[in-house]
Amino acid sequence: METSTRKRSITVGLFVVVGILIFVVGILTIGSMKKVFATSISVKSIFHDVNGLKPGNNVWYSGVKIGTVKKIRFLDNEQVEVMLNIEEKSQEFVRKNAKAKISTDGLIGNKIIVIYGGTQKVPAIEDGDQLAVEKIESTEEMLAVLSENNKNLLGITSAFKTISKNILEGKGTVGMLLNDERLYNDVDQTLAALKKASVNAQVMTASLSGFTAKLNEKGGLANDFATDTVIMRDIRATVGRLNETVSSANVMVNNLKTTTESLNSNKTSPLGVLLHDEKTASNLKGTLQNLESSTEKLDENMEALRSNFLFRRYFKKKAKEDAKQSPATESAVNESVKDTIK
Amino acid sequence: MSKEKVFTKSLDSSFLAVYNGYMFFLRFFREAFRGRMEFQELVKQCYAIGYKALLLISLTGFITGMVFTKQSRPSLAEFGATSWLPSLVSIAIVRALAALVTALICSGKVGSSIGAELGSMRVTEQIDAMEVSAVNPFKFLVVTRVLASTITIPILMFYCTLVALLGAFLNVTLNEGTSFIAFFENAFEQITFLDIGTSLVKAVAYGFTIGIVGCYQGYNAIKGTEGVGKAANASVVISMFLIFIEEVIIVQVSNYFRI
Repeated sequence: METSTRKRSITVGLFVVVGILIFVVGILTIGSMKKVFATSISVKSIFHDVNGLKPGNNVWYSGVKIGTVKKIRFLDNEQVEVMLNIEEKSQEFVRKNAKAKISTDGLIGNKIIVIYGGTQKVPAIEDGDQLAVEKIESTEEMLAVLSENNKNLLGITSAFKTISKNILEGKGTVGMLLNDERLYNDVDQTLAALKKASVNAQVMTASLSGFTAKLNEKGGLANDFATDTVIMRDIRATVGRLNETVSSANVMVNNLKTTTESLNSNKTSPLGVLLHDEKTASNLKGTLQNLESSTEKLDENMEALRSNFLFRRYFKKKAKEDAKQSPATESAVNESVKDTIK
Repeated sequence: MSKEKVFTKSLDSSFLAVYNGYMFFLRFFREAFRGRMEFQELVKQCYAIGYKALLLISLTGFITGMVFTKQSRPSLAEFGATSWLPSLVSIAIVRALAALVTALICSGKVGSSIGAELGSMRVTEQIDAMEVSAVNPFKFLVVTRVLASTITIPILMFYCTLVALLGAFLNVTLNEGTSFIAFFENAFEQITFLDIGTSLVKAVAYGFTIGIVGCYQGYNAIKGTEGVGKAANASVVISMFLIFIEEVIIVQVSNYFRI
């Protein structure tokens, strides 16, 4: 019985000790989390708006928790003094010119004080120092900007709504383009024509390519034009001579014009009479007829002379000489014909 | 003693029960600080009330932590904030669940057993016999039981908190792969001394309530074996009811300090 009581007492003792141990460990864990047992210094910052910051909220420096908010109190109108407990082991890293701002742990988490900045040349903060603050945009201010953006977005979507409605109803260029079948056909045909034109352009480009290749071919006329400086000089000289010829021709034409005008105007001159006087022309015609008949009669007389015994010997001798000269003459004639053909 | 009605019969009996309870309460404090403490009996009751309920409390706490975590995950996942599960669960467990679960389990197990035990002792006239044999039954039976429940229920609550957090950790680590250190750092990040203190005060209050209600019902049991059953039943119902009333009051008071 005594043993049973003793065993029970030990069990209860163990039960209580373990329970209290759990409690103590919990307290110590929370204490270490809240930096309650760490030696710390006290610094302050003065804010216009603490955005719901509470004593016990964390103080971060470069993302590391280095302390907690100790006390918050009003200092003056719109001035709130926030006392911060910063653990001594982090003191050396926070400089006197560091700044403090109120931020949030995560997007919607607890408020925290974030200490940032500071330069190495400036000494570390000490107990009782005051940190400069930076005003940051509160959630309300951010929401106000978001609200403005929403209004703009609403306006844009309304405009798009109107545009899409017009397009659906076939209004405007884009609407017609989407809804009008005739326009579609036109566009289709245009595109087909464009396609054809592009094929032609492709062919033309290929031809041009060939042409330019030929142009670039050395020894070609065009290449000589483009590259040979002597040809251009000759061409210039030729053009100059042509110009002179044209000038001479021009003078000649002018002279011919003057002569013609003179012939037309002066009908008494010999040529003018020939050109304008019908009577003279008929006389001249009669004279020519007479001359023709006289020539025929002279031919007959000459034939008669060839038959005459007095001149027969002369003509035979003449014929023999002609026969001798005829082969040489024929070959000379042939040579001249060949030259002409060339 | 005359049976004259003041209001109605039931109303009169209710007020009479409150008065008797109040007197019982005052008598407890008078007896607790007078004379020699029955330590052997106190240890025996601590063993019976605390140690015997440890397994049940641990199991309940583990399941509570795990299920609460599992049920909270979808809501937090909607905001992409499942990383907050340890904080959320630890706040819920430390501030409310651990104390409440322990108290409710103990009111069922301990309250009913105290009520039934004392009730049966009353109806079998064992308490009267103790008075006759010059033993103070109130000090021996009531003070030890009430003190034992007041001491052990806070300790059970600490166990329950630890086991519930382990249950939550198991669920979180199986789903999110969170490490043990990361989980407990995140869990204790949001807990303050006020939370622990409030929880402790609650557990003490609940323990005292369970003990005093059970003892009152059992000590004043009447009508034979039927009275024993009624005493056990009333112990559970009234202590649970009072636990919730105390919960509301303590939360209100703690929130006052929190602000």
